[in-house]
Amino acid sequence: MTAVDPETRIPDPIDLDRAEEERLRAAAGMGPAPASSGAGGEYAGFELVGVPDRPLQTEREVEMYTLEEGEMLVNMGPQHPSTHGVLRLVIKVRGEVVTDLDPVFGYLHRGIEKLCENATYTTVLTYVDPMDYLASMHNEHAPAIAFEKLYGIKAPPRAEYIRALVVELNRVFSHGLMIGFLALDMGGLTPILYSFINRDEVVELLASISGQRMLFNFFRVGGVNWDTNDEFLSRLGTWHANVRKTIGYNEKLITENEIFRGRTRGMGVLTPEQAIAYGVSGPNLRASGVPFDVRRAHPYSIYNELEFDVITQQSGDVYARYLQRIAEIKQSLHLIDQIMDKMPHGPVQAQVPGIIRPRPGRAYAAIESPRGLYSVYAISDGGQTPYRFRMRDPSFITLQVMPVLMPGHLIADTMAVMASLDPVMGGVDK
Amino acid sequence: MDMDVLLGIGRFVLATTLLLLLTIPTAFIIIQIELKVIALMQLRIGPNRVGPRGIFQSTIHGFKVLAKEDAVPDQADRATFTLAPWMVYMAAAMSMLVIPFAPGAIAADMNIGVIYFFAVLGLSVVGLLVAGWSSYNKYSLLGGLRSAAQMVSYEIPLTLSVVGVVILTGSLNFTEIINHQLAHGWNLWWQILGFPVFFIAATAEINRAPFDLVEADSEIVAGPFTEYSGMRFGFFFFAEYVALFIMSTIMVALFFGGWLAPWPFPAQLGGFAGTIYGLVWFFAKTYFFVFFAVWMRATLPRIRVDQLMGVAWKVLLPLALVNLFLTAVAVVAFNL
Amino acid sequence: MRLLIDRLGDTAGELRTDEDSVEIQVSRDHIVDTLKLLRDEEDFGFFFLADAAAVDYGVGRHLEVVYHLYSDRHPAWLRIRVPVERSDPRAPSITGLWAGAMFHEREMYDMMGIVFEGNRDLRRIFMSPDYRSFPLRKDFLLPDDAADSPAAGVNPLERPETWDLSAFTRELTRAGATYAPTATAMDVPPDEVPQADDVADKSRPR
Repeated sequence: MTAVDPETRIPDPIDLDRAEEERLRAAAGMGPAPASSGAGGEYAGFELVGVPDRPLQTEREVEMYTLEEGEMLVNMGPQHPSTHGVLRLVIKVRGEVVTDLDPVFGYLHRGIEKLCENATYTTVLTYVDPMDYLASMHNEHAPAIAFEKLYGIKAPPRAEYIRALVVELNRVFSHGLMIGFLALDMGGLTPILYSFINRDEVVELLASISGQRMLFNFFRVGGVNWDTNDEFLSRLGTWHANVRKTIGYNEKLITENEIFRGRTRGMGVLTPEQAIAYGVSGPNLRASGVPFDVRRAHPYSIYNELEFDVITQQSGDVYARYLQRIAEIKQSLHLIDQIMDKMPHGPVQAQVPGIIRPRPGRAYAAIESPRGLYSVYAISDGGQTPYRFRMRDPSFITLQVMPVLMPGHLIADTMAVMASLDPVMGGVDK
Repeated sequence: MDMDVLLGIGRFVLATTLLLLLTIPTAFIIIQIELKVIALMQLRIGPNRVGPRGIFQSTIHGFKVLAKEDAVPDQADRATFTLAPWMVYMAAAMSMLVIPFAPGAIAADMNIGVIYFFAVLGLSVVGLLVAGWSSYNKYSLLGGLRSAAQMVSYEIPLTLSVVGVVILTGSLNFTEIINHQLAHGWNLWWQILGFPVFFIAATAEINRAPFDLVEADSEIVAGPFTEYSGMRFGFFFFAEYVALFIMSTIMVALFFGGWLAPWPFPAQLGGFAGTIYGLVWFFAKTYFFVFFAVWMRATLPRIRVDQLMGVAWKVLLPLALVNLFLTAVAVVAFNL
Repeated sequence: MRLLIDRLGDTAGELRTDEDSVEIQVSRDHIVDTLKLLRDEEDFGFFFLADAAAVDYGVGRHLEVVYHLYSDRHPAWLRIRVPVERSDPRAPSITGLWAGAMFHEREMYDMMGIVFEGNRDLRRIFMSPDYRSFPLRKDFLLPDDAADSPAAGVNPLERPETWDLSAFTRELTRAGATYAPTATAMDVPPDEVPQADDVADKSRPR
């Protein structure tokens, strides 16, 4: 490599931006950028702020970015206290009423799919954790099942029970957080802290079994990494004794609260046909009345042996999605009881070599994550690393429904509807 | 010049200076109460490092705000940008002139005290509008308009609910109102419909939860204050808490007997000791309402802007009118 | 279930089954009609589009679009693979059937460069709109940002001519790694999993 010339000056970022803009404009065939307006405040073109400078590429973009009389683009940008991560929403408003909405992604894109093509199968299970970081166990569960299908083994029963246990624990605190965020986005400052008390207890619990508080590196191809230990069991007992009370705090504050109900009922109504057409799954779909739960529809792991109901709500509005998640928390607690009763003894990991080389083939595995149907499509070519590792994240698909739900509501409701759909940008952007 | 006039002017200057100086520690104390009380309600500890048990946290916040960079957006209208925080703060400070702290301890015991108070407090709307407009930012503009709509709508039920008290007392003078309550018992019992209307309207008027859309930090970032930083933002911030204090004092004065002590205690004492006694009870009652407002903020989510307007015009205004009518009828019928 | 698939006739080819999925291959001219049939027919009832993915089979080979469908009348996932030529990466859009395919297709366009005809909003979803390459392709060599950055040249890592790409190009065109599955995991029964049962601690296999 050539040595760096000590006389080279690093150019100033402002000049770089201007130069870049000039270059792009020249490449696109547009004229040079207008000079920034001086003193006096240029209010003429004020309403056109937000329309992109480059030529609009698609039909939908034209539809979205063409402003009629009285319309304005408001950018709820990637840095915002309420978007669930780095989500950019370009909202076209007339006054305070939303007429159209365009979500822009990519601010958290880390290229996980491409990374996983260069990682061994066990390492892949580490890479997928930060996708949907509030449901890390689910992120690992789907690839674990897919790789086991590719390799042709099954995890031992005790491992399956432990998997189901941690997955249900993860679901409990993920739904609890959604409730907290829903209230927070509406101005209620307290429920989020109660949710975090619950989450903290669960996360300490899961840390005692997996060693990590958030991005648990717990699943392995063929089972889980460690068995339950005394600390885990004692924390589980304490948590279990208190959890209904902690969830009850939030319920009491929110469910019958007139202000909360006034803001969520009839808001963001998703009809069942729309939900299925848009690929919405999970609690959002069930809150619209469609009883589709992957644990029942296509049972994986040990869900065949456990008894639980698929709950649905009728109205499909924000309030229904909130109630759906409360009901699912209670279902998960019921499931955890059954799992603890039925857990067999045995090994927790099947005998697999350190570096797994499955036979060439394709496998698809889908699980029910707190946000919906989370699936992995893996192709193996016989080597140490997967040939193609594709993850279908439910938050990504659920956000398609935002431009459909929002028009007609007020900007303030954007936050409520988004919080009720519960997207996590790590999963959306992969 | 006449000696009395000079003394009067001197007393007035002293009183206003004391009041202006009072606003700063009051804001600090109320912010500290808010931080600590909300923390305890959320099952956490709150500030506990700065000073013994963390009591100097808000003071340090205040000094920090002084030390920040004063950033004015490039295309903002500089003159009005600077003027807006001053307008809001002055509205709050001017209205403190008529607050009846203790017998004889009012800065300006005007005969039209009530009207003066509500008139001046309404000037803060102008300040918010100017802040929103001059920032050259769509969010600020939306926030300023929303706040103007909210404050203007709620002023009407606010003042109407006070008219009931005025009819009962027969005077707009605060001292008279409190003396009336000394003779006849607190106005809370007489205005059992007027007080809730006043309470809700007052909470909306000072942009406190659940009506704090102006600064709804999860929707429009900080509303009209988005572009303000440093001491300019400090002005808005303090003005909000001073307004909370002022509204609580007026609520206490109008409905809860001002400086009068409740039933088992002697209502009023004489002389200098009486002034201190009255001050203590006055502040105790005021801070109870401050605590109540903080409690509401910790518990309740925010109301949406159209529901807010609905409540003001469709619920509070008719109730205030009904209250007014009933009070007037009662006064005439029973010769109160 | 296999018997029902026969009804699709000669447009479907290469049927495979697994413990929980059925896989067919459909050419891209017939895909929209096939999916419509699968969705609307009573016996099939594949109402839910679970996944739409794109696969790149290597330099010199084709691309593929893979759809996964779910029906509550059939216990298995249905996988439909549509081969797409690398030199002409177009495929028909199914946003007419499932509006939720929009983001799937945008992502496939962004990452693999497959153009979906009939999609009203085919623009990049993760990368910035002026990005020129397709990241998930096997021949994705150079990120745009590094090559185009005006500061490229100061840091040697940003100067592509200083990179040693010989190992990488060798990897891309390695002759031995053809993807031509003869026996797939779907045809072979899983091996027995050996357990060590004379160890006291059974928490993991020894």
